[in-house]
Amino acid sequence: MGLVTRKKLFSIMALCAMVGLLLLPIVMSLPSSAAGEEAPAADAAKKEGDKVEKGRDVYYKTEGIVVGAPAPKTTDGPKDYPRYNFESRVLLWFANQQHLYYGSFVLAVPIFCMVIEFMGVVTKDKALAKRYDQLAYDFIKISLTAYSLTAILGGILIFTFLTLYPAFFGYLSSIFRPVMHIYALMFVAESGTLYIYYYGWDKMKEGFLKWIHLSMSVVLNIIGTLLMFLANSWIGFMMSPAGVDEQGRFLGNIWHVIHTALWNPLNVHRILGNMAFGGGVVAAYAAYKFLASKTEEDRAHYDWMGYIAMALGVAFLIPLPFAGYWLMREVYAYRQQMGITLMGGLLAWLFIIQATMIGILFLSTNYYLWQALGRMRGAEKYQRYIKYLVFLLVCGFLVFITPHTMVMSPAELKAMGGQQHPVLGNYGVMSAKNGGINVIITTTVLSFVWYMRGNKVSTVSWSKFGNIFMGVFFACAYVNIIWLAIYGYYIPANVRVGLSVPQVATTLSCLFFMFALNGVMMKGAKQMGPIEWGKISARSQYALIMLATAFTWMMGLMGYIRSSVRLFWHVNEIMRDNSPWAYTHTVGFAANMISFNVLFFWVSILFVFWLGSLAAKKAPVEAKAGVPGGAPQPAGSH
Amino acid sequence: MKALMSVGALIGVVGLLLLVGMIFDIIPSNTVRLVEGYMPMQMLTELAFYVAGFAGLSYILASMGMAVPRFWQGIGFWAFILLYLKFRVYPPIPFSVRAMYGTVSLVAVFMWVSSNEEDWKKFKQPIMNVLDAQSGTNKMLRYMYLILLPLLIGGFSYNAMKPKSEEPIELRTVHPAPPASTKVHGKTYVLQTSQNPYRVNPEGKYDQEYTNANIVEQGMGRLMKPNANPWDDKNQGYLKYVREGGEIFFQNCHFCHGDNLNGRGLHAFAFNPIPANFTDPGTIAQLQETFIFWRVSKGGIGLPNEGFPWASVMPPWEQHLTVDEIWKVILFEYWHTGYYPRTWD
Repeated sequence: MGLVTRKKLFSIMALCAMVGLLLLPIVMSLPSSAAGEEAPAADAAKKEGDKVEKGRDVYYKTEGIVVGAPAPKTTDGPKDYPRYNFESRVLLWFANQQHLYYGSFVLAVPIFCMVIEFMGVVTKDKALAKRYDQLAYDFIKISLTAYSLTAILGGILIFTFLTLYPAFFGYLSSIFRPVMHIYALMFVAESGTLYIYYYGWDKMKEGFLKWIHLSMSVVLNIIGTLLMFLANSWIGFMMSPAGVDEQGRFLGNIWHVIHTALWNPLNVHRILGNMAFGGGVVAAYAAYKFLASKTEEDRAHYDWMGYIAMALGVAFLIPLPFAGYWLMREVYAYRQQMGITLMGGLLAWLFIIQATMIGILFLSTNYYLWQALGRMRGAEKYQRYIKYLVFLLVCGFLVFITPHTMVMSPAELKAMGGQQHPVLGNYGVMSAKNGGINVIITTTVLSFVWYMRGNKVSTVSWSKFGNIFMGVFFACAYVNIIWLAIYGYYIPANVRVGLSVPQVATTLSCLFFMFALNGVMMKGAKQMGPIEWGKISARSQYALIMLATAFTWMMGLMGYIRSSVRLFWHVNEIMRDNSPWAYTHTVGFAANMISFNVLFFWVSILFVFWLGSLAAKKAPVEAKAGVPGGAPQPAGSH
Repeated sequence: MKALMSVGALIGVVGLLLLVGMIFDIIPSNTVRLVEGYMPMQMLTELAFYVAGFAGLSYILASMGMAVPRFWQGIGFWAFILLYLKFRVYPPIPFSVRAMYGTVSLVAVFMWVSSNEEDWKKFKQPIMNVLDAQSGTNKMLRYMYLILLPLLIGGFSYNAMKPKSEEPIELRTVHPAPPASTKVHGKTYVLQTSQNPYRVNPEGKYDQEYTNANIVEQGMGRLMKPNANPWDDKNQGYLKYVREGGEIFFQNCHFCHGDNLNGRGLHAFAFNPIPANFTDPGTIAQLQETFIFWRVSKGGIGLPNEGFPWASVMPPWEQHLTVDEIWKVILFEYWHTGYYPRTWD
């Protein structure tokens, strides 16, 4: 058997092993779902005849046989809430947040690797393909160290739960027992797959083997995503429990417990959020390396890396507000009380901070793209119009961050003549905010289009018509978005909620249709000059760092909001939190805690980056392949 | 191009003159009225006109050889925004919101002046000149800043630390989250699922769409729909209940909430904040009918902890009205304002 054939065989075997690992938890779980839960209950029912106790599902309203104990009624004391001389909730908050940061990062990066590796495989330009491949490898290398840290932090989190909240964790694990075991097995599968994927990189870098390697990344990402979905089922259950009766007794249907009212919106929101966050962290890494670079070569490489990471992150940032909107809609539909606490009541000010952070993300992205025009010769023609984009962005931003409940002194309240300001009060409601965010996103799309055509002049015969068409299309999009935002005030709320669909559709049609049209127009375009990678202002790199910091801060904030909306419940309306910390923190304390978590994460990830750089120093010179000589082609644009 | 820019410049000059007049109180802020119903877009449109005006002004001045340096353009535009918010928009915007807007505008100015290297260099130049102090004027300016900046910072710090006798700022929760259920006159109502029993069609069935079709036209005139006059004695069902609700409203609620339901009743200005303005899109238009039912029944005294500082003197109307009367008055409030209660179907 030839060497190549043997390699092929081993690769296929490795891929099959991965698929096997993926299927392992499912196979393992089959007996439990077939006999593990419901069968004993059924047997017990037969034996005890009429004594079987039935309960009604709090969410699905179906009847089921009670197979679990009721949620414990905890009391404040060492039995249910053992503690140090410190607020246990804060310790848990810290452990949870750090685990989530790293978890998000290590789930997002392999998805990037998959995309970049795929781009490398399909790119015809061999030098560029090599660069993409190297970039994907650099990404996975960073995530590998972070992976161990994620597992360690996961362990710390479980110990914190077990030691500080034993009653609550005991209840949760009694309900999710099979899910937790599947989760653990999935983690084994994830680790195995990741190591084979990473260590097999060099051995499977050509031809058919490369496709096998690429398939492994698909398997890896499926496992990672399923892992996250399972973890989401726990928080979904805590917010909107299902599969249990009013006393919290498990009714035997594990799917009901997993598939709660908020599970799917949480899944979608988290997967997009992780991707945007991962892109931000890698972009910040590249920015840091760019600023610390001593050679033109390094600067060019990290400039390019930062651009790719930013573009991938932003690709997932754009749909993120829509996913968030869906989640909030489902929260309102699940419990009006919960929705009002979030958006109009106790936590409303945190949402204003969140809106500010979202605005900062988009502002940073646009600013980076405008700076990036500076490294293209011929892009000057667009630069003088940037001030109008700034105006559009800022108008959208101001509307987006205007609070419904304004902070004011009683004297100001009196001068204003009522709680609602007659002008700005209109910006405080959802209809205006939908308009604001869609204007921001559409402007970001416009900035991208300008960037993609920065140094090019279309040579197609219909270029003039194409340009006019694009201009009119964008103008109509703005008019439609703003018009729908105004119209939203004149229709019932349930119709208004649905109005976000045409607004989003307008924004997304700008994104897809204009990108596609621009791509066609720029095919074979005349280049006014090359993209001079590395010749970008330092300010742009600070914008990338800002982007990543804003992502991190926002993730911490949103996690806190999502968790604290349960108020004094461990499991909403099922298990009450009777610890001394069942109150909602002040906005100031929460902001300080989030900032501390962000700071800790960035300090620790710098350590991870440093470890990664130690490995890079030992790498052969050829690993630095592909420092741009010609004009490299960034993701999907040039 | 030049003609277009000249028009822009003219708009810029007129706009600036108006604003200066408002700042020095020569021209009242409402000389150019913020028209009710159009105010939010009017403000953004005015700002857009100002931006176009400044672009025209800058172009014309540059073509006359009197270009305004980028540094002063940036500083000037930021100052304009702050002054516009303070002196143009009425009633006065609370400081906290102006501070937010001011910060965002500052970021916007930075993004504009640093969007490319050439502009950034132009913007930085006067600052660098003062720091380098190559000329006598710049040297003097540098010394001046050396003295003024610490004084300024000291002044701010002193002002921040000085004990004040003003009333503290209140982070008031206007719509605190309601309980899952509320007990009124001995019956428990689940807020998620309860319905207004008087929101019915001619057949007597609960029908949101039918009742929505009969509310007043929402707009500047607030006109009744044709053939939907609740004061017509022949009406039965929904419109009859609206009339009954209206009678209850004018017997009990209008003293505070006003004839037009805009929170400006006879006694309104004895309270701070004044009573809720139902015509504002941020009040009943945002809420389910059951929320209003709970608020009306329990009043200010029944606000939860989250409703701090409980700045509501509304009586718990369950002590004065029957359940049916409360539902009818809610029906009237939605009918009169032209808003639809929030639903999730």
